[in-house]
Amino acid sequence: MKRLMVVDDESEICDFLKLFFEDRGFQVTVAFSGLKALEVIDQVKPHVILLDIHMPGMDGLSALREIKKRLPDCKVIMVTALETRDKIEEAMRLGADNYITKPLSLEYLERDVREKVALLAKSGKIINESV
Amino acid sequence: MAFHIKKQKKILRKLLVTLTLFILGFLCLSLSDFIIKNYFPQTSSQEPLLPVVIMALLAILTLKPLDKFYLQLFDRYFFKKKVYAHIVLMNLADELEVVLDLQELANMVVNTFGEVLQLKTAALLVLPSDHDDLEVASAYGWHVSDYRRVRLSQTSPIMSFVRAHGAHVLVRNQVLQAFSWKEANQLVYDFDLMRSSWVIPLLVKSEIIGLLVFSAHRSERAFDESDFHFFREFGQRISKSVLNAVRVQKLKRLNNELQDAQSQMLQSTKLTAIEQLATGIAHEIHNPLTIISGKAQVLLLQRDKVPLDTRIEDVLKTIVKQTKRAADITRKLLMFSQSSGLSREALVLSQIIEDTLSLVSYQTSLDGIRIVKHIAEDVPAFHGNVHELREVFLNLILNAVQAIGTEGEIRITLQYSPQDKLVEVRVADTGKGIAPENLEKVFNPFFTTRHSALGLGLFVTKQIVHHYGGAIRVESQSNEGSLFILRLPMNEVSPEAVEVSNPEFFGASN
Repeated sequence: MKRLMVVDDESEICDFLKLFFEDRGFQVTVAFSGLKALEVIDQVKPHVILLDIHMPGMDGLSALREIKKRLPDCKVIMVTALETRDKIEEAMRLGADNYITKPLSLEYLERDVREKVALLAKSGKIINESV
Repeated sequence: MAFHIKKQKKILRKLLVTLTLFILGFLCLSLSDFIIKNYFPQTSSQEPLLPVVIMALLAILTLKPLDKFYLQLFDRYFFKKKVYAHIVLMNLADELEVVLDLQELANMVVNTFGEVLQLKTAALLVLPSDHDDLEVASAYGWHVSDYRRVRLSQTSPIMSFVRAHGAHVLVRNQVLQAFSWKEANQLVYDFDLMRSSWVIPLLVKSEIIGLLVFSAHRSERAFDESDFHFFREFGQRISKSVLNAVRVQKLKRLNNELQDAQSQMLQSTKLTAIEQLATGIAHEIHNPLTIISGKAQVLLLQRDKVPLDTRIEDVLKTIVKQTKRAADITRKLLMFSQSSGLSREALVLSQIIEDTLSLVSYQTSLDGIRIVKHIAEDVPAFHGNVHELREVFLNLILNAVQAIGTEGEIRITLQYSPQDKLVEVRVADTGKGIAPENLEKVFNPFFTTRHSALGLGLFVTKQIVHHYGGAIRVESQSNEGSLFILRLPMNEVSPEAVEVSNPEFFGASN
């Protein structure tokens, strides 16, 4: 099972993303903040994380830093409303694997997530775990 | 009028000198003839050079003192000339009181001073408002290129001398005699620097504000005590006018600086305001838009499992499309505010134009718009950011498409001028054109003639073009289409770009 985590402070966004990806065979975990996400990632061990940048409390960039430290193989796609260029550049520097701006094109997002999963599968990360 | 009199006198003097010289020449001839006949009777016929030598000797011996004698005689004879010069210069001093432009004032001073006193050189040095060295404001009889080179430091010997001795006119030879060899040497340097033999200090309340320096054609050209008295008075008269002009110049400069700073501040505050606005709006609006669009997409993608009613599908598609459009507004705003500082690389402009055209090709074929391209082949790689340049071309092309509506032609020309190192892009359309009163406004933010448009396209385009040091302008007449001309300088070309552009260039001489 491919594990996806959605981190966004807008519950409605989390809702439809969960609905959409579960429909397509993903196991989806939702977290409403960076801190909540960090609490559970060690148990959930998501393959791909959709991470909002602008969140109250711990923002997406700090969460990204911590996630990459704890789960180096995890692919992180930054989902931003609209960020200044320096924030996006910082995210890429911190190891973000892509960034997508809102409003989301679900078809594009699905393609990108599947691409990242395929990369992990290729390097043997997913098969090993799922066995 | 006055100058005519002066010229007449000059001619008269020359006539008299020539006449005297003739008489003297005749005398010389007789004298040499007499000498030869009496002392060298045997050589007279074989040596034709001898009388010439003797005549030359006599001429040299007599001409110089004679000329000086005439000069003094004439100066004395034309004593009125001196009075005339003084009157002219004092009138000038009066006139200068109302001249506030430093350059104009300096020109008037040196030219009149030089002409009236028949000087070799005359120059006005002033203390400019923006630094501490004296500069030449204007000069008479100087080489133009010397103007800017000459600067006199506040600590130079001549300035120290003036500070110690006040408003007295400095006479080169007299001043030098009063000093030791070493100090005199330094002073000589200053006098030479200013190409002068005399210096009139310009002081206001014992502060040096400038120097009026001059030299005569003949080093022995003498000014007497009354002249120096006059010079001193003249110096005092014009000092205040010079000071006023210097101050006005300083005010002008400060005013310009203030205006620059103001416009810069305006620009920067405008930028940050728009940036803040854009990010603020983005956060408040993009999330709800994401939810609306996302939920519609979830429903829309149900069609993979259950076929949807086409009407429902259309509605859902419209929702997705319109939310994207709303989001584009803030995206464009932010793009404008951030258009500087993007990474640049060597780009093939024709390729970017092709890419952009392919984006609109569906729209144009639908609207019956023909696209004609004239792409020069010698355009070197351009150093820029691909997204910015796409934005520029897209905005220009979309603008043309919208101006045409249906049925028309867009001509795109790309040229390179190696002399100017400029790339020129022309986008011409056969659309409705721009009304004359709107020509200047088309690049303004939020200016649009269409209800559905935001009016940021050309504004963003202009901002990007300016970031590249380029320029954009528009030529148009109502109902005759528009022509946008965009020029981009090929600056900051990376080494790779040079290679791309013309590899054989360096080996051309072989």
